[in-house]
Amino acid sequence: MNFDSRKYVIVAFFVLTGVLYAIKLFYMQVVDDSWKLRAQQIAEHRREITPPRAVVFDRNGLKVVENKTYYNLMMVEADVSEDMDTMAFAELIGWTKQEIIDRYKQIVKGEGTYTDPFTKKVTKNYQDVRAYPFIKELTADEMAKIAPHLENFKGFYEEVASMRNYPYANGANILGYLSEATREEVDEDPFYRPGDKIGRAGIERYYEDEFRGSKGVKYIVRSARLNAVASFEDGKYDTTAMQGDPIHLGLDINLQDYGEQLLQNKKGCIVAIDPKTGEILALVSAPSFDPNLLVGNKKIRRNYPALLEDLNKPLFPRPLASEYMPGSTFKLLQSLIGMQEGVITKDSGFPCNKGVVGCHNHPSAQNVTQAVKMSCNPYYYAVARRIIQQGKDKSSFKDSEIGLQVWADYMHSFGLGVKLDTDITGLRAGNIPDPAYYDRWRGKGTWKFSAIQSISIGQGEVQLTPLQLANVAAIMANRGWYYTPHFVKSIGNNGPLDKYRKKNYTMVDAKHFPPVIEGMRGCVHDAGGTARLARIDGLTMCGKTGTVENYYRGVKQKNHSVFIAFAPMDDPKIAIAVFIENAGGGGGTWAAPTASLMIEQYLYGEIKSTAKEKRILDAKLSNWEE
Amino acid sequence: MRKNESITGTFDWPLFIVFLMIMFFGLATVYSVAYDPEHSSIFSFSEKYGKQVMWISIALFLGMLVFLIDSDIYRNFAIPIYAFVVVLLVIVLFMPKINGARAWLGIGSMGIQPAEFAKIGTAILLAKYLSIMNIKQQTTQSVLIALGIVLIPMGLILLQPDAGTFVVFTAFIFVLYREGVTFDPIVLLLINLIPGIKFKKTWVGTHFIPIAFVTIFLCVLTLIISKDPYTLDLFPGEEFSGYWRMFIALFIVSLVGFIIMRIIFPKREKNRAALIALIAFVLSTILTATVNVVFEKLASHQKERIELALGIFDDPTGKVKDGADYNRNRAMAAVGSGGFAGKGYRNGFVSSVKTNHVPESETDFIFCPWAEEWGFLGSLVLVCLYLFMMLRIIVIAERQRSSFNRIYAYSVAVILFYHFAINVGMNIGLAPIIGIPLPFFSYGGSSMMSFSIMLFILLKLDSQRRDVLN
Repeated sequence: MNFDSRKYVIVAFFVLTGVLYAIKLFYMQVVDDSWKLRAQQIAEHRREITPPRAVVFDRNGLKVVENKTYYNLMMVEADVSEDMDTMAFAELIGWTKQEIIDRYKQIVKGEGTYTDPFTKKVTKNYQDVRAYPFIKELTADEMAKIAPHLENFKGFYEEVASMRNYPYANGANILGYLSEATREEVDEDPFYRPGDKIGRAGIERYYEDEFRGSKGVKYIVRSARLNAVASFEDGKYDTTAMQGDPIHLGLDINLQDYGEQLLQNKKGCIVAIDPKTGEILALVSAPSFDPNLLVGNKKIRRNYPALLEDLNKPLFPRPLASEYMPGSTFKLLQSLIGMQEGVITKDSGFPCNKGVVGCHNHPSAQNVTQAVKMSCNPYYYAVARRIIQQGKDKSSFKDSEIGLQVWADYMHSFGLGVKLDTDITGLRAGNIPDPAYYDRWRGKGTWKFSAIQSISIGQGEVQLTPLQLANVAAIMANRGWYYTPHFVKSIGNNGPLDKYRKKNYTMVDAKHFPPVIEGMRGCVHDAGGTARLARIDGLTMCGKTGTVENYYRGVKQKNHSVFIAFAPMDDPKIAIAVFIENAGGGGGTWAAPTASLMIEQYLYGEIKSTAKEKRILDAKLSNWEE
Repeated sequence: MRKNESITGTFDWPLFIVFLMIMFFGLATVYSVAYDPEHSSIFSFSEKYGKQVMWISIALFLGMLVFLIDSDIYRNFAIPIYAFVVVLLVIVLFMPKINGARAWLGIGSMGIQPAEFAKIGTAILLAKYLSIMNIKQQTTQSVLIALGIVLIPMGLILLQPDAGTFVVFTAFIFVLYREGVTFDPIVLLLINLIPGIKFKKTWVGTHFIPIAFVTIFLCVLTLIISKDPYTLDLFPGEEFSGYWRMFIALFIVSLVGFIIMRIIFPKREKNRAALIALIAFVLSTILTATVNVVFEKLASHQKERIELALGIFDDPTGKVKDGADYNRNRAMAAVGSGGFAGKGYRNGFVSSVKTNHVPESETDFIFCPWAEEWGFLGSLVLVCLYLFMMLRIIVIAERQRSSFNRIYAYSVAVILFYHFAINVGMNIGLAPIIGIPLPFFSYGGSSMMSFSIMLFILLKLDSQRRDVLN
């Protein structure tokens, strides 16, 4: 047998292998692009850099919301050595061994999974070479205790994270809080990645786009351990992260703080507005909470349920969403509308006829100014009757319908019964009943003024939010117009949003305001005024009290105490509404002195009458739930 | 005996130059992969490229020494040389484990791997034994001795364990095949046990090696290419079994084989060509179809294990199997991302040591950085260089008068082939992941020295080929 030809078999084998490899290489490297994509997936990485959220200043340049550095304790399982002293580690971080094991399982089942955005299928994606936060949101102090010993525990290291911090523990309902974006929000807006923070309430939510800034993108070459090794193409395609411009609030944080103190142990609201600009100076919702309680997942998980279940509802933004009957403060508007409609003049007088509606003992009002000052119920019953039943139709039912519509239109022009376009979420519209409202409720053509008379004195179906009431005070101060109340005075240096630069005029001419305002002055300063407790030496203040009768499940409760005011009379710098739930007494007893303290604090920065201050601070009012 | 007029007179320059080129490219790639800006000089001995320069120098020095020694020594001292490496292989088993294997002899990083040198000793003794063995009258004993020469070091290497080198030793079967060692005596021994049968020789025994190879090759190929069903644009909605690919490939290969045989066969044997092609086609179809059916019937975890061993996977995104088949996936991404002309020298990032996506990218996976940086052009150049080297060695082998020289040369050729085929193959998904170095190219002292010595012995034998007669 000739074995010489077998050399060809071997040669053929060599050549065929070479050719096969060359073909495969050609296919992999030149024809098929999938490996190039794979290489990009593996090594080139688009790393998004989330800038810290914009900081917030109050009207005096005090930092109200800032970012504080926190630490996450990261774990890379592949780096953790097998013979790690778990007991020592447990001791270091103050956990039990079981807690460590549980947390590990939680990471594998939670952060270590991947949910397909389209199919919603959850797949395991845990990789032991990837870093996962083992403990999140440690403070600098907590980390300082752990960090020096971490070198003994390979695979664990610290990572810096930015979270909100509130140097003043005030204004929680205004500022809102942050929490992790939900799956839906991540799907909806490509800006967010799982784990990103998003504004949850307050201005953090309303101005989310301004607060979040713009993300930077860094293209890096990534190692097998998913660490950055080098920047890709020397950072040619990189963009820097831009923090949002600082947000300047019209809020006076010290005034806000003071207001929150005044309302301690009470339920109620204070809203103060700069009438010249519409900037909200303070918006107190009592009871409130320290915004620092809702910083970071850990604290939210711990504190949010308690806040939510608190029977006194600290999370409920009362000034924005609580709808109260305005009581006698409403009489200001009835006076103005009556004069504008021409159904009364400033000198119209009506007897205090207690047969129609109850009143307190006082001489009959001879004009509008006296009526306001004395807050005469029968007077306003008469005024409202004239507004609503003007005799435009023979049928008193039809006539009331026409008149009520006119009346409601006036009220809407004061920003009542409609949602104010304030830059915060959670606003409510209150209620100004119009013909359609009563038609729905009572049936068309079945009601006339006598059936709805309680609206004339701000009771019954009329409901206002404290913010709207404060805006009424601002309108009085401005004699007929207002800027929509708003929190943000300026985004960076760009001023407020456009919609806050436009004056809104009410349907009442400026000329009708002076007699009413004179009555308001009388409330505070003249003998027999209802708000004498609000007086401040050397300041001309205009105010109007309200005492709101209310029922809870059919049982009469203590009156709400209401007061609105502005000051100084001729150059108004602050307009305010105070509302204290179930305080008892009249509007002048509790709300008026509280408002005056706020005004004094704002205008002078100090309180002269410490007795007045102490009385309010010490008072424990409202139906307090313990 | 006639002395050479000059040492270089019959020196095979083409082989030597290709050897130097591969070595140079390898060094350049090690430099690129392991580059450390703090020790940028290629002679920085703290870095791998500095060490590689040292290994190359030592290898060239040893090569020169080998070239100065008369080639008769290998013929005369074949048994002591073999015995020496076997003893080393035994001693190494008592060394401490490094990376899970007792493969290193020596102190620290300056150790050597006796397994690398065992190839040389085995090649020499095998050449010696086959050259004196009567190939015309093979006995059970002579075949077993020839096999034993290969199997003894193989067994010792398996004990280390070093699966890579173990596999490489099967290369010697090619040499046995080339020299006409058949398994007939063993096959006959078995077959003649059956009463009434008294064969003198069998076809299976004579062609046992190629038959075994073709069978294994076809089985593996079936598993690789019959796996996924596919669709054709021509018949939308129809799903074809992946096995059709295999069937069509077999048909085409048989047809091409038939046409080639028609051309090269003498006229009177034309019908034999048709018969051979038909039998080959039918048998291979039966074999592959059986393998396909059996594989489909296996449990999924068994399938997965086989697929993984064979390097079959259809997951270029790496999501599912990146863990299990991590190395191959990363290696193929590095090679595939090279493109036509590559990313440029030292611009590869998938296979860079810094990113560490491809493990061992300066030793076992060194083809990755080369292919990533130089693209298809570079890959083709390297494949051609190795192919040239192997074919050149065959040419050298066939011009030897002495069968000792020829057998040794064949051993070198097939060992190089194994290293090349497995190493490059595993980088492009055509071979299982077996950790063996790319000759003259990979970083590492033992492989560099042993391959160089092996090659220089060949060059020396070749330069003295006229001196010997047997």
